[in-house]
Amino acid sequence: MSAHHHNDNDTQVLYEGDQSKLYSGLMNHHTDIHSADSKKQVSKIWKVTGLLAIVTIVEVALGLYGTGAGMPKGLVNIFFLLLTIYKAAYIVRVFMHLGDEKKSFLITVLIPLTLFIWFIIAFLYDGGFWLEMNTNF
Amino acid sequence: MSQATATTQDVKSWNGGHSPFNVSYGKMMMWFFLLSDAFTFGAFLISYGTTRFFSAVWPDPNKVFHSFPFLGEANAPLLFVSLMTFILILSSVTMVLAVHAGHYNDRKGVIKWMLWTIIGGIAFLACQAWEWTHLNHQGAWWGSFTDPATALSSFEHFFTADKAVIAQHGLQATHDFYNYFFTITGFHGFHVFSGVVFNVMILLNTVNGKYELRGHYEMVEKVGLYWHFVDLVWVFVFTCFYLL
Repeated sequence: MSAHHHNDNDTQVLYEGDQSKLYSGLMNHHTDIHSADSKKQVSKIWKVTGLLAIVTIVEVALGLYGTGAGMPKGLVNIFFLLLTIYKAAYIVRVFMHLGDEKKSFLITVLIPLTLFIWFIIAFLYDGGFWLEMNTNF
Repeated sequence: MSQATATTQDVKSWNGGHSPFNVSYGKMMMWFFLLSDAFTFGAFLISYGTTRFFSAVWPDPNKVFHSFPFLGEANAPLLFVSLMTFILILSSVTMVLAVHAGHYNDRKGVIKWMLWTIIGGIAFLACQAWEWTHLNHQGAWWGSFTDPATALSSFEHFFTADKAVIAQHGLQATHDFYNYFFTITGFHGFHVFSGVVFNVMILLNTVNGKYELRGHYEMVEKVGLYWHFVDLVWVFVFTCFYLL
């Protein structure tokens, strides 16, 4: 009987697992939110915030004045895509803490996304091909 | 015995007893869910892109999105959507600060930053509601711009192309544009809405001391991943619909 008995606390452990065994590095339990370590983390978060804001402002400025200032639309679009990926990388790496996870986990999450390379090229090429067929033939 | 001593540290990490990825089950499954969700959004955006490549003309975002609440007919391209983007980025920042407070078992901090995150989410949804209503008043909705008798004057102002091309292909392009716009921003908006609901649930659990009892705030982290993902998707939606 006693072997099958769980008190409330044990049930919690079964439900979520013993997290203290899982966390490491940044994910580890800390105690003092006012510690230097904590403040360093927070200042990093605000730095990334500033970076994301600046990139967004640059994007909007390019959208409003890029082509008007004589930049070819194709070049402006390349800048848009590069800045988008730059922003996305910072959100995933810092805000979602993927950069702090084990490298094997990071790779496990990122490898399936490489399918997008084929996905985007194949479908956009197909769209362009149909436009060509509809226009010239 | 000899087998056990021959195994390297790396192989041992897959022999059971602990997490090889150093990640709890729930958090790993959240990541895998987000991966599948990324493909759903990716499929939406790529089919939008395919249709756009397929079309002879396409509405110019600076011409479609140029209004701002209470400014009447003022021409302010990109201004309102920039505001929406900043709101969502800031709510992502407050979320990561809530997660950070959770790592330090700082209950008050979690409550404060979760509240700000929820406010940010509601503000974003309010902005989107305004934008949808405004576009709807201009005649845009799912399945709009299908009648071949539609006057050229009701859609030519969305374009910067040659007038003859607009007359021939503009109606179809406007129709496609709005179908994709409402579907994709709607799907994203529904994610924001469900994210706000999750955030409220987590806030209530935090206020009730549930995570303090549990000894960790990992639920904040898991829901935080979802919330950041919603912000991440917006980065791409913003580029695809408003910039490119």
